[in-house]
Amino acid sequence: MMTLELILQGLVMGVFYAMMGIGLTLIFGILKVVYFAHGESFMVGAYTYALIAALLGLPLPIALASAVVVGALLAVIVERLLIRPLYEKFGDWQQMRDEYAIIVTFGLSLFLINAANQFLGPYPYHGPALTDIARFQFGDIIIGGHRLVAGLLGLLILGGALWFIQRSFWGKQIRAVAQNRFGASIAGIDTRRVSALVFMLSGGLAALSGALLVPLFHAQPDVGMVPALKSFVIVVLGGMGSPIGAIIGGLILGVLESFGAFYVSYAYRDTFAFVILIAVLLLRPQGLFGERAREV
Amino acid sequence: MNASHLRTRREFLVSLVFLAAVAAVPLFVTSGYLLGIVIVAMYYALLAIAWNLLAGYTGQFSLAPTAFAMIGAYGTGMASYHFGLPPAVGVPIAILVSAVIGMGLGRIVVPLRGPYLALTTIAFAEIVRHVARNAHEYTRGDFGMSVPLISSDRVMAFYLMLALLVAVQVGLYFLLRSHAGLYLQAIRDDETAAAGRGINVIFWKTVAFTVSGAICGFAGAMYVHFSGLASPDIGHIFETGLVLASVVIGGIGTMIGPLVGGFIVQFAAEGFREFGLRHMLVFAAMVILFVRFFRQGLWGLVKNAWDRLFGQGAARPARQVKEAGE
Repeated sequence: MMTLELILQGLVMGVFYAMMGIGLTLIFGILKVVYFAHGESFMVGAYTYALIAALLGLPLPIALASAVVVGALLAVIVERLLIRPLYEKFGDWQQMRDEYAIIVTFGLSLFLINAANQFLGPYPYHGPALTDIARFQFGDIIIGGHRLVAGLLGLLILGGALWFIQRSFWGKQIRAVAQNRFGASIAGIDTRRVSALVFMLSGGLAALSGALLVPLFHAQPDVGMVPALKSFVIVVLGGMGSPIGAIIGGLILGVLESFGAFYVSYAYRDTFAFVILIAVLLLRPQGLFGERAREV
Repeated sequence: MNASHLRTRREFLVSLVFLAAVAAVPLFVTSGYLLGIVIVAMYYALLAIAWNLLAGYTGQFSLAPTAFAMIGAYGTGMASYHFGLPPAVGVPIAILVSAVIGMGLGRIVVPLRGPYLALTTIAFAEIVRHVARNAHEYTRGDFGMSVPLISSDRVMAFYLMLALLVAVQVGLYFLLRSHAGLYLQAIRDDETAAAGRGINVIFWKTVAFTVSGAICGFAGAMYVHFSGLASPDIGHIFETGLVLASVVIGGIGTMIGPLVGGFIVQFAAEGFREFGLRHMLVFAAMVILFVRFFRQGLWGLVKNAWDRLFGQGAARPARQVKEAGE
């Protein structure tokens, strides 16, 4: 039953990866640039949860909710201050928007990591698990209690996010802007507000993913780096700009890593993702479900 | 001679003055600690120059400069640790290995643009670092490998590093003045148009990656023979951030900017350490501010101030006409 257990463990991690990836793919969809500071939304969510739940001792739902709010707020502020120039008129960088986005969001990521290190310290903050049950057992399959509860909660949120993007009025506006920003603005859509909404949504989801993973990884300044890089892998794997692709990509990556760590090498468990990234970019640049990811 | 050549020459002359000033440092400074800081500053300047060749002149925003420094560091480190080879053999091996890997990476990423290039190179950098950390039997993992010093005399090490820096700067100047330099800048400005004018884009992009990788590998190899330890920290993502900060703060796409930027970043890092402030915090904030508001970096600010102070209001357009006509 080892195989089933590995699949289950992988799917649970995949849910968290997907929560990161869905935000990143939306940002790519509407702006067509990479956003390197996504992992820091994750980090901020993790810290908020750990501080509010463990230090202030407030109930866990409040801690989770405030993590979402703080992550969303941070992302909206970043959008307003640093990202908006990308789609407003902006002098020299108008020609080099990829380069502007790479440098500015990479710098922002380093800034937030080091700010956390400066003001909160390099040591890990621990947060309480969502459930007191240490593990669930179904036949031969054993899974950690927090993992299962957090994974199910994450799955619920993912479903909600997918419904929001695919079915709600706001989601339709997001997809309209992703297809054609200018056309959407002619149709009466406030593209600025949609961009802010996308950042809010992706920041909130990433922060929630961070908050839910605190009992497993603890809150540290650079805790978001690996998940952020993996969410890029998911986005490329699923296809840039495709929310369903991000979810499926996340689940695939989670399961692949789970098997790779067990059968190939535990030490290299974080390396597989990068090999997958390079392989997909070179062999199938459009990903599984997305638009073509490179111009030749 | 056209405007681009004149600009390059002016920047090159200023950088020579700066390097001459650096060369005079051991005459006044005897403290081995301070000389060590300058040596590390030269290491960052080398990486910044190499990255600027890729990003500033060729438009390829790779995020793997420190990965190549690490390849160079481990090239010479493994040569000396496992085979007892001296630096005189180990460093050329390091250059060769990093050049070949740079060529391979460059050839692979030719079709990728913008975000995809950044993602591929950052993935490459992480793979290299993970391998160095985990292949214990070859690299000793996180412990790193101790490497013999290139010279027990700090002044000697100082001038060896400076010689490398001068050689790279002079080499870059002649590269930029040649047709190759114009090809690279044409690719940066408009790849499709460059290809349309008959420039072999695949070849020249690969050349840029090879040269940049070789310089980074050379710098990394020299650095470990100065510090005595080859460790995976050389390729940490924060180090990439420092290289980016050097270039962006100094002035991207100029000859002088990355050179001076490397020194500023290293000196400021030492200064902030005294105050207990994390230097990366300040540099990251400066990178954001510079990219957002002063895209030309410090060199651009200096140039603008110079023009405002010493150039007559009408002098600038007139000179541009002259430059274009020459």
